[in-house]
Amino acid sequence: MSTDKRITLQQAAEIVTNGSSLTFSGFTIWRRPFAVIYELIRQHRKNLHLIEVNGGPQTEFLVGAGCVDIWESCWVGHELYGKYGANLSRKVGNKEILVEDYSHAEMLFRFTAAATGAPYAVTQTSLGTDIHNPEYDVLGRAGKRDGKRIAKHKYIFTEDPFFDAGAQILIPAAKVDVAILCVQQVGEEGTVRVNGQLYSDPEVARAADITIVMAEEIVPEEYLRRHADQNTIATFEVDYILDCPFGAHPTGMFGKYDVDGAFLKDFYTNTRTQEGFDSFAKEWIHGLDHISYLEKLGWPRMLNLRANTALNYRPREHKGGK
Amino acid sequence: MSIYASPEEYGLADLLCCAASREVQDNEIVFAGTGLPMVAIMLAQKTHAPDLKLIFEAGTLDGRPPELPTSVGDARCETGASRSSGLFDAFSIAQRGYVDLGFLGGAEVDLYGNVNTTCIGDYLNPELRLTGSGGNPDINAFAKRTVFIMVHEKRRFVENVSYITSPGWRVKKWPGGEFVHRRELYGAAFRGGPSAVISTAGVFRFDEQDGHMYLDTCHPGKTPDDIKGMCQFDLDVSRAQGNTLAPTREELRLIHEVLDPDQIFIPKVKKA
Repeated sequence: MSTDKRITLQQAAEIVTNGSSLTFSGFTIWRRPFAVIYELIRQHRKNLHLIEVNGGPQTEFLVGAGCVDIWESCWVGHELYGKYGANLSRKVGNKEILVEDYSHAEMLFRFTAAATGAPYAVTQTSLGTDIHNPEYDVLGRAGKRDGKRIAKHKYIFTEDPFFDAGAQILIPAAKVDVAILCVQQVGEEGTVRVNGQLYSDPEVARAADITIVMAEEIVPEEYLRRHADQNTIATFEVDYILDCPFGAHPTGMFGKYDVDGAFLKDFYTNTRTQEGFDSFAKEWIHGLDHISYLEKLGWPRMLNLRANTALNYRPREHKGGK
Repeated sequence: MSIYASPEEYGLADLLCCAASREVQDNEIVFAGTGLPMVAIMLAQKTHAPDLKLIFEAGTLDGRPPELPTSVGDARCETGASRSSGLFDAFSIAQRGYVDLGFLGGAEVDLYGNVNTTCIGDYLNPELRLTGSGGNPDINAFAKRTVFIMVHEKRRFVENVSYITSPGWRVKKWPGGEFVHRRELYGAAFRGGPSAVISTAGVFRFDEQDGHMYLDTCHPGKTPDDIKGMCQFDLDVSRAQGNTLAPTREELRLIHEVLDPDQIFIPKVKKA
């Protein structure tokens, strides 16, 4: 048994140095590694390059706090609780951030390429759209395409050389320094078991140079190895682990707790301006740690989010029914 | 008593939901987006299309959620599914050509069904940055048919969208950017394209030959001329065929008592 992968929240955030490229587990408002996101903001991390299969509240918090220089992805918002990413939108308007747009499937295929060690992926998606407009290569226009971590081209247009199937798009592998995952269980040696939808967790974990896994609980490896077919990610793909219950709040965790919609709606409503963001961050991020954050949220709120373990979600009470 | 509800018994969201539900055929594989389309697809499953197969973009295949999910990544999506996995499965299945129908939304649409969800104004100097594409162009590129559900305002039904996020019937061929028919660009990957727009004013369809949108039905209270006046482009209203079919009383019961009793996506009409 080895415990040398264990780190603290503070150490997890320190691994993400200024200028790092970074990606996350989860999907829109589910299973985002919020405890580390908050810690990155507390530590005033700068010049991050986020590369995400899809964005969400975690994008909005980091962007609002001024941690991010480049965002490469396809979507940002809070689903039902906020229709777009107001912080990103404001910073795009003020030219304080570079945004590189791909489609959702393109982002997924880019991570799949990186996860398989391939330099690029090939797809037929999004043909004919402005996503492929050569004038809209934002990182190219900014002179960032050095061919090292950032690909020399946003796209290559080509034709199927094998079966004459017509137009194809080559998209570069998503090369990222660090992936931070937020899951239900991780073993002491790093075996990950994700319950519910996997989203793009296996791909981002394998694509990143350093993979950090925060979990609702760290469990004995022996327990996970009894049913290896139910495990999601193998030990050696994981570099660091940390124990962090309720670490995804305000996003949801399948089988553990639902999305805190009221919290997200409050964030969305009150952070349209920078002043609004700063005062939200002052109340909910700065001067707190994970435990005092949970204390501030309080037991009634957290119990109200708790999933039913048979259903894996919290059934609605149908207050408005019939 | 008619099986169809009278106008005071339903709201606009009910009408859109039922119109969307009727686009689904039995046994089809349907890609669901968050919101009203989820209710529409589950309504079809409970009425005329019991054997439809529902795919949630976040990674659930043939899902049968017992309680309405609030987004496609929701824990509720996985319950009762044939398989729960991830985005790689959802998108590779779509690119492989399994998907018959997808429901999508948009901020702007043009005559050819090109849709924008990315920005308003010049992309490099936008007046407003929106959410971005999400899976909109992917589902639209891969599915045999797509149906868009949109708020109808003149500023949204435009001559040229600010940014083509999702491909319609006539699209830009890069690197030059000249408009060509979608069939020409997609080659062997061509499977179809937008088949309908269901707006808050009416239902629109597309002529696959010239790629133009035309008016199919008007929602109750709207005339073809009203709707023509609500588009910046020259809308063909010559094929209009009366009013959009009202919801049935059974559909309304299913929406409000079974599928969305908490009015998460479909508000109940207030009785006068």
